[in-house]
Amino acid sequence: MARNFKEMKEADYPICAISLETTLLNKTGTWRIFRPRYENKLPPCQDACPAGEDIQRYIYLASKRDYEEGYRTILERNPFPAITGRVCFHPCEDACNRKEYDEPIGIHNIERFLGDYGLKNVEKKEKRKKPEEKRRVAIIGSGPAGLACAYYLSREGIGVEVFEKERLPGGLLRTGIPAYRLPKNILDKEIEKLEKNGVKFITNTTFGKDLTLDVLLEKFSAVFLAIGAQKERDLEIPQEEQKGVLEGIAFLRSVNLGKGVHLGKRVLVIGGGNTAVDCARVAKRLGRITTLLYRRTKQEMPASPEEVAEAEKEGVKIEFLIAPVKVLLTRQKTVKGLECLRMKLGAPDSSGRRRPIPIKGSNFTIPADTIIKAIGEVVELESIPAELEKTEWGIKTDIWGNTNKKNILAGGDCVTGPRTVVAAIAAGRRTAEKIRFDLGMKEKLSDEDKREPVRFAQLNTFYFEKQPQVKMPQIEKRGRETFKEINLGYKEEELLTEAGRCFSCGVCNRCDNCYVFCPDLSVKKLEDGYEFDYDYCKGCGICAAECPRSAITMYPEGEI
Amino acid sequence: MRQKLKRKRQELINKDFSPKRWQEANQIEELMNPGHFACPGCGGALAMRYALKALGKNTIVVIPACCWSIIDGPFPLHCLKVPLYHTAFETAAIMASGIKAGLEIQGKGDISVLAFAGDGGTADIGIQALSGACERNDDIIYACYDNEAYMNTGIQRSSATPLFAWTTTTPEGTPKGEPKKNMVEIVAAHRIPYTATCSVGFPEDMIAKFKKAKEIRGLKYIHIYAPCPTGWRMAPDLMIKVACLAVETCLFPLYEIEEGIRYKINYFPKEKLPVRDYIRIQGRFSHLREREIELIQKKVDFEWDLLKKRAGLSGG
Amino acid sequence: MKLEAITGTKKVVTGNHAVSYGVLLSRAQVIAAYPITPQTQIVELLSEFCATGLLKAKFIKVESEHSAMSACVGAAISGVRAFTATSAHGLALMHEMLHWAVGARLPIVVANVNRAMGPGWSVWTDQNDSLSQRDVGMIQLYCESNQEVLDTVIQAFKIGEKVLLPVMVILDAFVLSHTSEPVDIPSQEMVDNFLPPYKPQHYLNIEHPASYGGLTNPDHYFEIRIKIEMAHRAALKVAEEVDKEFQEKFGRGYGLVEPVNCDDAKVIIVTSGTITGTAREVIDKERRKGRKVGLLKIRLFRPTPRERIREILTRAEKIAVIDRNISFGHSGIFAQEIKSILYNEPRRPPIFNFIIGLGGRDVRPEDIEEIIDYVFKKDQPTEDFTLRGVRL
Repeated sequence: MARNFKEMKEADYPICAISLETTLLNKTGTWRIFRPRYENKLPPCQDACPAGEDIQRYIYLASKRDYEEGYRTILERNPFPAITGRVCFHPCEDACNRKEYDEPIGIHNIERFLGDYGLKNVEKKEKRKKPEEKRRVAIIGSGPAGLACAYYLSREGIGVEVFEKERLPGGLLRTGIPAYRLPKNILDKEIEKLEKNGVKFITNTTFGKDLTLDVLLEKFSAVFLAIGAQKERDLEIPQEEQKGVLEGIAFLRSVNLGKGVHLGKRVLVIGGGNTAVDCARVAKRLGRITTLLYRRTKQEMPASPEEVAEAEKEGVKIEFLIAPVKVLLTRQKTVKGLECLRMKLGAPDSSGRRRPIPIKGSNFTIPADTIIKAIGEVVELESIPAELEKTEWGIKTDIWGNTNKKNILAGGDCVTGPRTVVAAIAAGRRTAEKIRFDLGMKEKLSDEDKREPVRFAQLNTFYFEKQPQVKMPQIEKRGRETFKEINLGYKEEELLTEAGRCFSCGVCNRCDNCYVFCPDLSVKKLEDGYEFDYDYCKGCGICAAECPRSAITMYPEGEI
Repeated sequence: MRQKLKRKRQELINKDFSPKRWQEANQIEELMNPGHFACPGCGGALAMRYALKALGKNTIVVIPACCWSIIDGPFPLHCLKVPLYHTAFETAAIMASGIKAGLEIQGKGDISVLAFAGDGGTADIGIQALSGACERNDDIIYACYDNEAYMNTGIQRSSATPLFAWTTTTPEGTPKGEPKKNMVEIVAAHRIPYTATCSVGFPEDMIAKFKKAKEIRGLKYIHIYAPCPTGWRMAPDLMIKVACLAVETCLFPLYEIEEGIRYKINYFPKEKLPVRDYIRIQGRFSHLREREIELIQKKVDFEWDLLKKRAGLSGG
Repeated sequence: MKLEAITGTKKVVTGNHAVSYGVLLSRAQVIAAYPITPQTQIVELLSEFCATGLLKAKFIKVESEHSAMSACVGAAISGVRAFTATSAHGLALMHEMLHWAVGARLPIVVANVNRAMGPGWSVWTDQNDSLSQRDVGMIQLYCESNQEVLDTVIQAFKIGEKVLLPVMVILDAFVLSHTSEPVDIPSQEMVDNFLPPYKPQHYLNIEHPASYGGLTNPDHYFEIRIKIEMAHRAALKVAEEVDKEFQEKFGRGYGLVEPVNCDDAKVIIVTSGTITGTAREVIDKERRKGRKVGLLKIRLFRPTPRERIREILTRAEKIAVIDRNISFGHSGIFAQEIKSILYNEPRRPPIFNFIIGLGGRDVRPEDIEEIIDYVFKKDQPTEDFTLRGVRL
C-alpha cells in the first residue's frame, strides 16, 4: 500500500478498513518525558566491606553455581576468602538491607563456601609463577596485611620477600585466632597460594634486630611494614606483672604454636573484646573453669555477639560490671585471686558507650589461679624505626600507606591500632596498588567509590517471600572440648538457598520484572541483560517502580 | 543411598534458585507489538499482552468500543499479530459467538475466539449479549478488562466504578453512591463452566488461567483487574503496585468458580493490608473521608469473608 | 424428512416457509434469529431443517435482533454464509448492525417481513420498517408473491456475494407471510448449479492477521465509504445479470422493475409489494374499459434502477405512486424517490402520491380504481400526497 495517501487510487483502498500495517511504524518514544536507564548502584554490603568486595556479584555467581567465577571475584579484593569466611566479623551483614526485611544474608558463610571451594578445586589449576628479579619488594610481617600485599604484588610478577619474626608465617592468623575458628591447615593452604606465585618467606627474623630499613632499601624497591599491634595493654593494677598474670595475645600465641602454657585450674579473663573471648574459650577447651570479667554490660562488649554467644554456649561464665582492682598473691607469690570492684553505668563516653562508674565500697574477691589480661592491644612503638612519623596509634601514613620516608609504606594494625583482619587485607591491597603505581606498572590509582549505597527504602520487596537465614551448621555442645573447627560450612543446597535470598541491591540480576511488566514491550532481552527500546518506550516508569533492587533510574528526557 | 543422593543432585541442577519470574512464558513469542496507542502505564495493554501469551497464535480477538479500539491503532495500523475484529459497543459477546459458530461450521473449531471488552461494554451496554452467550454456553473466552469507568470516552462512570470514586459524571461533591456491580457473580449465576478473576500484577496467575480457559469447552469468563493511571488520577509507574495492592487488601481477590458453584481462592495474602493503603495512592479517592474509608473496609472484609465461606463450602 | 422429498417439487407454502426453503437450498451456514410476529415460521422451519440435519448450519438462538445481526456479521467475517430474518421492531433494533454489515461489506441476507411500527402494537403490513432502513446501504428487494420470495432469497445470496453488500428480501406481513400459495421449490441440484459455495473475499485469517474496522480518520474514510456507492452501481448490473441467469436456469425472471402495459399508457401507477398483485387486475379492468393505464412494479428499491424508471415513466402523461408507507412531515417514500429521479428530466410528468393501507388496512381493487379515477380527473396534483381510505 502506497504510503503517500495522496497517490493512492481506488484499487489501493481496501473495501473496508482492514489494517495490515503494524504499529511498529508508530514510534511512541516521542511521547516520553522521562526515560529509564539501567544503572547499577552500590550495594550496601560492598559499601560496608572494608575490602570493598563485590559481594553482590559473587553471591549472584554462586546462585548460578558458577563457584569458580565467584571465587575469583572475591580474589580481586580479598585473597583469602577461606580465612575471612571464617574469622571476619562481617560488617557487610550488618549493612545488609535484608536485615530490615527478615534476616540478613549469610554473606560470611557464602564467602567461606567459595573460599573452601577455591582452595579445593580452583587453586590446583593455577600454575607456578616465577617472579621477575628486577623488581623486588620486602614485606615485614606475615599477618593479613602483609600476606595480602604479597599476594597482589606477586600476582603481577613482582618478586616479594616476606620477613616474619615467628617460626611460621600468618601473623595473628596463626598465633592469635584459635584453631576452632581458623584451622591451621586452611591457613597453610592459603599461604601456599603465595608460594606458588614465588613469594619467599623468611621466618624467625625480627625486624629491628635482624633487619633495618636502610639494609632493606638497598636490596628492595619498596618496603611494606605490616608488623601489627601485638602488645597487650596493661591493667594498671598492683601485682599485674607477676607470674600467673598472662598477656592475652601471648597466651594465644603459645597455645597456637603448640608451646606449653602453665594454666591454673581456675582462670579469669579480663576484657570484653574478641581477644578476651578467644582466651576464655581456649582456656575452657584446656579444661579450666573459666570466667570472663567485663566492666560494662553485654551490650557494650566490643566482641562480636556471635562469639560471645558461642562462649556462653561452651560454658564460659561471663560476669558484667566488674573491674579489677588488685591481683592477690599467695605467700609463694602465685596468684590466688583478684580483688574486684562492682561498676554501674553512667553517661556515655567518647566511644558512645556508657561509662562504667565504680560503686564505692563494693570490693569483693574472686578466687583464681591464672589471670589473663586482654583489654586491648597496642602497637609496640619501640619497634617502629625512629625516622618514621607516628600517630598516637602507630605509624603515620596517608590513605595509600605512604609514610614520610620514600618507598617505605605501612599498613594494617601497626597504622590504625587493633582492627579487623579484613581491614588489614584492604590496607595490604591498597598498598600493593600504590607500590605497583610507584614502580610504573599501573597507569593511575583507582578512585574511591563515592556513590551512596542503596538503602532498604529504595527497594521493592513485594517480590520476596519472608525466609530466615540458613544457619551455619555447627558441632553441638558435646564436640566442643577439642580445637576442632566448630562451624561445619554450608552444603551446596544450603548455599544455593541462602544465595537465592540475596536482594541484589542496586545491581540487575536478570529477574525479568522490567521485561514482564512493560505495557509497551519496550524491554528487549539480550544475552546478558536488557536494553530499553527507546523508539517505543513511553517513560511510564513501571520498570523502575517494579525493579526489586532499584537498578533502574528515571531521568527527565533530554537530561542525558 | 547413592541413588538418593544422585536424585537430589539432579533436583538441585533442575531447580533455579535465582529470583526469576515467568520462566516458561519467556519462551513464548510475544503476539503484540510496541508502538500502540495506550497511555503510558496502561493496565489494559498489559492485560492483552498476557492474554495472548497464554492463548497463542491461533486466536481471534473481538474488541467492542473501548480503550482497545484506539490502542490497536487507527487504520491502517494494527498492533497485534493475531486477527482483530472491531465491533459495536454492546456486541462483543455475540460477535465472538457468531465468529466461533462460523469457524466451527468450517471445521476450524480449534481457533480460540477471545472477546476482550471493557467494563462498560460488559456490565452496562454489553450485559445482554453476555448473558445470552452465557445462557447458550457459546464456546468463547470472554475477558473483561476492568478499569472501572468509561475511560475511552473520558472517564465517565460505569456500573463497575467502585463506591465513592470520582469520575467525570460523578464529579466533586457527588461521587458515585452505588457500589460496584459484581459481574463475576452475575456470570457465575449462569452456571458457565469457568469463571475467574485475575490481576495484571500477577502475570503468572493470569496466564495460567487463560491457558486453563483455552482447554475448556463452553463460555469462560475472566475478569481482569487492569488499573488505569490516567483515569484513576495517579502516576503511571504506580500501576502494578495498585494492581497488587487490590489483591493484597482482598478488595479484588483472585479466585475461580467452576460450573458457577465450586469456588476456589487462588491467593491468600500473607498479610491482609488495610484498604487505606490502596485508596490513598489514587487521586480518584483523594476526597474520601475517614468514615467512608471505614465503610469501604467493612464492605471489603464482609465480601472477603463471604468468599471464604463460599470457597469453604465447595472445598476450595 | 428427506431433502429430495421436499424439494424439486411444487408445494403449497406460506411466504414465510418460502423464505425457509430458499435459505435451505442456498446452503446457509450460520443462522441467527430472534422470533417476532410475523416472521416466526421462517425460523421455526429452519430450526427443524437444522435439527434434522437437512441443513448443515449452526442455528444461534440469540437473545435479541441486535445480537442476531451481530452474530451474522461475526459469522460472515469468519468466512461463512449467514442469514437472519426479522420484522418491524426487530429490524429497528438491528439498525446499528445493518449499518455495520454494510460498512463491513458482508453479503448477509436478511429477510424482512414488512410490518407496521408501534405503538399501538400492529402485526399487519406496511412498509415503514424496511423503508426506515433505506439509507443504511443495504440492497432492498420487494416481493409480490411467495414464488418470488423463494426465488429472490436465492438470487439475494448470489447478488450480495458478488458485490459484497448485505441484501434485504422483503415480503408483506400476513398477506404473503401467512398466506399459502403454490410454489415451485427447485431441487438442490438446480440451486447448486446456480449458486456456488461461498468464497469469502475477506475473512479473519490467522495466516495474515489484520484488524478490521479500526479508527478511520477523515483522510481515509471518504474513499472507503464511496466504494460502497460504487458497489451499489455495480449491483444494478449484477442484479440484472443474476436475474437473467435465473430466468435461463429456472424459467422464471422478475427484472429489476416490471412495467405492465406502460408503452402507451397515459397514466402509470407505481406500486411495490402485494399491492402490485391487486393493481394488475385493476389495470386489466381499466384497459377493458378503454382507459390507457399502465403499471410499474418496483422490485429493486436499492440501488434504485434510475435509468429504467426514467425510461418508462417519462413516456406517461401522469404518474400515480402508491405508497404503503409515509415519511412524516414529507410524503410517501416511493413518491419522493420517483420525484427525485425525474426532476432533472426535460420531460417529467406530474406525479401524484397516494398513501394507503398503513397498519395492514386492506387495499382493495376499488381503492386503486378510485385512485386511477382521481388521477384521470386532475391535471396536476394539488397536494404533495393524498391519503386514501383513512377516516380523517
